[in-house]
Amino acid sequence: MIETITYNTFQVLFVVAFAPLYAGVLSRLKEMVQSKRGPSIFQPYWDIWKLFHKDEVVSEETTSIFRVTPYLAFVMPIFVTILIPVLTDYPLAFAFMGDMLAGGFFLGLAGFFAALAAVDTGNPYGPMGASRTRMVGFLAEPVFMIVFFTVSFVAQSTIPYIVQQKWVASVGAFFSPAHILLLIAFLMLILAEGGKIPVDNPSGHFELAMIDESKGLEFSGRGAALMKWGGQMKFLVLTCIFLNVLVAPWGLAHGQFIVDVLAAVPLILFKVFLFTLVLVAIESSLAKLRLFRISEFLGAAFIISVAAMVSSIFPGA
Amino acid sequence: MPTSTPEALNTLGAGLILISAFAMVATRQVQGVVRFFVLQSLLLAASSFLLGYDRNSVHLWTLGGITIAAKVVAIPWVLRRLLPGDFYERREISQAINIPASLLLALLLAVASEFLTGPLVMATRDPVVRVNLPIGLAGVLIGAYSLIARREAIPQLIGILAMENGAFFAGIAIAPELPIIAELAVAMDVILIAVVVGLLTRNIRQTLGTTEAGALSELKEDPLAWR
Amino acid sequence: MALIAILAIPLLAALLCWVRPLRRVAWGITVASAGTVFALGAYVSVEVIASKRVVGAPGWFEADGLSVLMLVLVSFVLALASVFAGGYMRHGEHKGNRLWWFYSNYNLLSFALLAVPSLAEVNLVWVAVELITLFSVLLVGFENTSSALEAAWKFAVLTIMGAPIALFGFFTLFWAYRSATGGSWETWEGLRTAASSMDPNLLKLSFLLVFVGFGAKSGLAPMHTWLPDAHSQAPTPVCAVLSGVKTTVPLYVILRFLSIVLASPAARLGNWMVVLGLISVGIAAFLLLQVRDYKRMFAYSTVEHMGVILTAAGLATQASDFGAVSQMLNHAVTKSLCFYVAGVILLVLSTREIQSVRGLFRISPFAGSMLVLCSLAIAGAPPFPIFLSEFSILSAGMRIGQYTVVAILGTLIVIAFVAIMLHVNGMVFGKPTAPRLTEALPASCRFAVLVAAAPVVLLGVYIPAPVHDLLQLAAQQLGGR
Repeated sequence: MIETITYNTFQVLFVVAFAPLYAGVLSRLKEMVQSKRGPSIFQPYWDIWKLFHKDEVVSEETTSIFRVTPYLAFVMPIFVTILIPVLTDYPLAFAFMGDMLAGGFFLGLAGFFAALAAVDTGNPYGPMGASRTRMVGFLAEPVFMIVFFTVSFVAQSTIPYIVQQKWVASVGAFFSPAHILLLIAFLMLILAEGGKIPVDNPSGHFELAMIDESKGLEFSGRGAALMKWGGQMKFLVLTCIFLNVLVAPWGLAHGQFIVDVLAAVPLILFKVFLFTLVLVAIESSLAKLRLFRISEFLGAAFIISVAAMVSSIFPGA
Repeated sequence: MPTSTPEALNTLGAGLILISAFAMVATRQVQGVVRFFVLQSLLLAASSFLLGYDRNSVHLWTLGGITIAAKVVAIPWVLRRLLPGDFYERREISQAINIPASLLLALLLAVASEFLTGPLVMATRDPVVRVNLPIGLAGVLIGAYSLIARREAIPQLIGILAMENGAFFAGIAIAPELPIIAELAVAMDVILIAVVVGLLTRNIRQTLGTTEAGALSELKEDPLAWR
Repeated sequence: MALIAILAIPLLAALLCWVRPLRRVAWGITVASAGTVFALGAYVSVEVIASKRVVGAPGWFEADGLSVLMLVLVSFVLALASVFAGGYMRHGEHKGNRLWWFYSNYNLLSFALLAVPSLAEVNLVWVAVELITLFSVLLVGFENTSSALEAAWKFAVLTIMGAPIALFGFFTLFWAYRSATGGSWETWEGLRTAASSMDPNLLKLSFLLVFVGFGAKSGLAPMHTWLPDAHSQAPTPVCAVLSGVKTTVPLYVILRFLSIVLASPAARLGNWMVVLGLISVGIAAFLLLQVRDYKRMFAYSTVEHMGVILTAAGLATQASDFGAVSQMLNHAVTKSLCFYVAGVILLVLSTREIQSVRGLFRISPFAGSMLVLCSLAIAGAPPFPIFLSEFSILSAGMRIGQYTVVAILGTLIVIAFVAIMLHVNGMVFGKPTAPRLTEALPASCRFAVLVAAAPVVLLGVYIPAPVHDLLQLAAQQLGGR
């Protein structure tokens, strides 16, 4: 019991500590692909540290929502981390407190408050970005739902740990059309929710075109640091769900000793790094979609996920 | 559930073939449609090779080879020769039904094909047939839909060829011992289809100045003009 | 041996037309090959009447009664159409130097049309039907006018779309055959004998798929929309071939499938065929009332007759099978005559509109009288052969008690009759819209029309014994006895 709580804490610390590294490696690799030198991979750490040491400037027109949001954005991904397999492939202490739907709710809560905070300031760019984020969000909802339902239907459970055990049990299950289609649908979903190309340009500075970045526009100092960090943690959490639950349990600790769990850390980091390479390939080869095309992109993701559901429900596949 | 690795990979191929069929409905670029068709044919050939390896069937190996020769190599080459380059740079900006609705219809067709082949799939024990038959029929139906919904000439032709891909994908599961002569003849026929339709498209372009063949609508009956 | 020669000769003729020095005599080559093929077809039919089947190469090329009937029909229409084409194409506005391409294509189409009945391997039949479609597409679009190309495009897309669907049906049939017998080379004979042990669900599914796929090529409603356009825009000799035989050939394949399905006691499809046939006849009859172009009028009447044949086959009695095959024969012969006459009118007046043609009898008595003759024949008036075959179908239906079917079919035929005669009346009588024709019509056209009219007149009153035997044999094949 003590062990599982410790491991759970390890997981949280893992996500909290390595999320900025993930973002840093991603941006560095993207720049390298473009034949530039790129910032150091630890740059996000320096950014967060710098922001923590700056003063906060808060508009008088805002309400308490604006003050609360950064903390929510930081804490919600931590809650989700407790529920998903990050380092181990057996359920930990809090694993049964909530399932994947709960994870979805947590992330949705953070997003909801971020949108409200953006509207709160009265700045024109805030609501614009917030409405676009909500559009992407509600288009992505059905995909989330269908993916969760399919995955849970096949695994007969909604707890991520159980799902992960059932899904990758045999070669046949791994290569079934349902699985592959789900992977593709969820990947498209991550790209949308994480604000990566082709849905949004994460390194753009042009406010009129921002979708996801706009939620952090008005914050400063500690609030900005927490928003940034929270965003990076959210993306790492989504990646962990994708890799550990859906793709494969490679690298996850099987044994119950602390050594195994510690050994899992570099393995999981390596797995995330491989995924980063895939992500860089996708981001560098596609162009950002026009706003109204995002509905087609997410529509395609929806179709793929429904096809996955259909082919897993019907016998024989 | 598939029992051996080639069969498992075949199911993977089936899923990807279905996705490429959706992609053919959703793409706007003419060049993109041709590329997805080539991808679909490659997947079909790969499935054929896998099943041939698994069942030690020379027929399937030759079918895979014929598919690659005809659909991956010959047809794009023939189309390139017959039609000048600017056919391929066209984008179909407006289709009869917009793309998300088209994708939903294609999805409905895929679901319908699972239902339609349900009784047949229940009766058989072969896991490959259980995967290939519904997805083959779905390929045929989605190809037919993309044929109807599109207006440009080349995507319509590719729609026909995609239907053939679907029929063959089902065929490698349910009729693997088709005589080689028949397979060769079908491959030649497919190439001929491309040639004939390509010639026709070129003539239409020369005469009418447009390749939106689907928009031709001069010949019609007028129900109010009796006597 | 003769069967293989029947196929090899048009192929050879097509190749010869490509040879540069021979391009000028392409017409001569075509007529010679078509005539030889007809003679060979007649010879083969005599053999089949004597010995029930003819084998060219066992397993590959075989012919029984039904296929020989088709061979004779096809070769007859092809031969006459090639004669007609000489005068027509020369007279028209075609540049002489493209004609070799037309004749070469024509020969290739002949090859494909003749291959379908002669092939015994079922899967190759699919390929042959596809070749028919492809070559006819090229012929339909021969005159590069915008309406011809539109017709060719619609034709191409709608009929080629049926191909993979039919292919799926063929695969399903192969699956059923293989699970029942384990063999892999299927012939029509083999299928018939194995029919009772094949899974009836698979049989029904494959028949449905082949019906949808090839029904589009036969002009069965609701997949008939390309037919009026294609059959009116193509050059007239091509129209004759298209309407006369090219729609009958896929129907022949469908009827073969039907006989296999009916041989399996568990599958019941006859009623569906009757309903679908009646739908075709109905749609055609009503569309005939509103047609404005006389070639389209003849095309709609093709749809009607295809529907009648399907209904007759669906009734599935010996008498109605005989009616069905004699309808196939009579339709081929009569419809080609109709298109020859239409071609002559087109040559004389250069317009396809019914409204613009008035007083044809005064303009050219030959054309006017022939038009009256052929339209009476195609609409089903006595003493012409189509009346006989339709009457026998109706009486067969009465005999087995299908009164509703007979009533509906009879009414629709009458509606079609009225529509055709209304239009033709307007065209032939009345004040002429053009001065009397001074120059004579091309000799080959007149010759073709007269030769085509001969069987139409003859078969209405007297069916020669060999023809009757052939029809009997074909009906037996159809019914599976």
